[in-house]
Amino acid sequence: MVATERESNRETSVINLHGVTKDYGRLRALDDVSLSIDRGVTGLLGPNGAGKSTLIKVLLGLVRVTKGDGDLLGLKLGSESRAIRRQVGYMSEDDCYLPGLTGIETVQLTAQLSRLPEIEGLRRAHEILDFCGIEQERYRMVETYSTGMRQKLNFAQAIVHDPPILVLDEPTSGLDPTERQVMLSRIRVLARDAGKSILICTHILPDVQAISDSVVILARGKVRVAESLEQLNRPISPSVHVRVAGDSQPLVRKLQQAQLVVEEQETGTLVVAGAAQDCVSEIWSCAAACGAVIRQVKSSQNSLEEIFVEAVRENQSARA
Amino acid sequence: MPVHDLGYRSWRGKLAPDYTRWLVIAHTGIRLAWRSSWLRRMLLVAWLPGFYMGLGFFLFEQSLEYPQARRTVSQYLSSLPNTNTLADSLRVDLRSDDPVKLGQARHQMWAALLAILFRYPQGMLMVMVVGIVAPPLIANDMRSRAFLLYFSRPLTREEYVLGKGCVVWAYLMMITTAPALCLYLLGVLLSSDLSVIEYTWDLPFRVLAATAVLMVPTTAVALCFSSMTTESRYATFGWFAIWIFGWVSYSALTSFQLQSPGMNGEVSSTPWTLLSLYHTLGEVQSWVFGLRTGFSDVWAEAVVLIAVTVVAVGVLLNRVSAPIRA
Repeated sequence: MVATERESNRETSVINLHGVTKDYGRLRALDDVSLSIDRGVTGLLGPNGAGKSTLIKVLLGLVRVTKGDGDLLGLKLGSESRAIRRQVGYMSEDDCYLPGLTGIETVQLTAQLSRLPEIEGLRRAHEILDFCGIEQERYRMVETYSTGMRQKLNFAQAIVHDPPILVLDEPTSGLDPTERQVMLSRIRVLARDAGKSILICTHILPDVQAISDSVVILARGKVRVAESLEQLNRPISPSVHVRVAGDSQPLVRKLQQAQLVVEEQETGTLVVAGAAQDCVSEIWSCAAACGAVIRQVKSSQNSLEEIFVEAVRENQSARA
Repeated sequence: MPVHDLGYRSWRGKLAPDYTRWLVIAHTGIRLAWRSSWLRRMLLVAWLPGFYMGLGFFLFEQSLEYPQARRTVSQYLSSLPNTNTLADSLRVDLRSDDPVKLGQARHQMWAALLAILFRYPQGMLMVMVVGIVAPPLIANDMRSRAFLLYFSRPLTREEYVLGKGCVVWAYLMMITTAPALCLYLLGVLLSSDLSVIEYTWDLPFRVLAATAVLMVPTTAVALCFSSMTTESRYATFGWFAIWIFGWVSYSALTSFQLQSPGMNGEVSSTPWTLLSLYHTLGEVQSWVFGLRTGFSDVWAEAVVLIAVTVVAVGVLLNRVSAPIRA
């Protein structure tokens, strides 16, 4: 039965891990990790020391697992590491560059290391630097780049050989808000238009919320949460949040007359109990009847931050 | 701003062969090292001893045609180190008109000139060139975390080390193999007919073998030092320290032996040779050029070189993968 389950996972998932444990001496970095990561964008979250970097190293075959097995696009972890690294583009959270090379030379070098021929590597490097928004700076030495520029260069290095899977470690750290949005839109383009499967490891939860299809939360080497974001966002008791321009009391009275349970938050937002499909039309009718101007109506969601904090807290209390 | 912003495009094309990855590392390393003006000056200077050795080839070939030039050959040889025995032997051989004996004398002279070139001027220049090229090769990669750039690709640590080693080898060949082979070619061109090749055909192969003897242990040691630190200056210090320490120790321990009667100013192989990497290399290279008759004369030196290489490569491979495993 387990074997059948594994087979079906392989068809839909790009990464499968089964009971993966990694020890560094007496320190257990990954503890019996079993998970399947589907196509699309997956956010890998966890506090510092949770085992995220170790998990990435395991996937890239840079460290050997102590126990367990797994595969990436059907290639076995460990024994087919080189083939795996051909299929993966890795963006490190740390600065990694070769001193003395210009931006274009650095990206060309990484293209050639992934076996693109020299001239084709140069052409492709230009193409990717255009995509990443590195213009004339590509002819400058990498040492002179700002943190944001280096981040974009790292991203360019990860995608230059057009890998089907991307592992991006903190892709938006060090970027200003505008550049951060642009970087997220690039990631979205790669996932949506180029069909890449992307694993994003970050501490910036709004980034994960903005672009991920699913989330994996690690804490102390264990998988605490592995769900689609849609599933996670679905609240246990559904409600609708309504923001009103001006005085909200007439609308509150009207909604209560319509037998809806309403609660007013300190921010002035009204929380109406019930699923959106059941009560939104009633809310609009009540607003029209009392002349209230509605600014926003949206279904309530579980915040990723709450889910993250809860997952980490659960782990800490379990240890205690 | 690109003229046409086409967004992201997939890449479909023919991949380069699998073995090209270490060549990419080597090519990049050679290009980066070439930017050092000190290295370029050093390479230029490295060819000057070749001209002086070329004079030896010229004088020797002249002495075969014009016997009166043989005195000049003796004077020339006296200006070179450790050539007293060779000069005595040539004096006897050149008196003969036997073409076989003359051919052997030519082989002996050419081999000695090439061995001297390798051992003295180029040996010292090698220490300096490797001291400039090798220390930053791995140390800088560790400092700038460039190893992640390499090892997140389908690259093994052996390919990485081979690529880095090729950078050092390329520059070593520029100062040793290239001038030595040019000298051999010069000798052939200066000789009266092409029958000279019959007696000296093995010398280009001996040059290549001597290059390998020089390159493999020195590169392994230099890269080993480079891999042990993120500051290339410490690797440079370590590199020069082992040569200077070995040289000083050897010189101090053999100085009394050199002054003793009957030594003729030349020290044959002593156990103290093993203390100095420079002298150990020199002894094995002398054997490669046929100046030492049997392998039994240099087996200890050969074993030391092999041991040094094995230990250095072992440490090197371990250090190269250490930052990734951490």
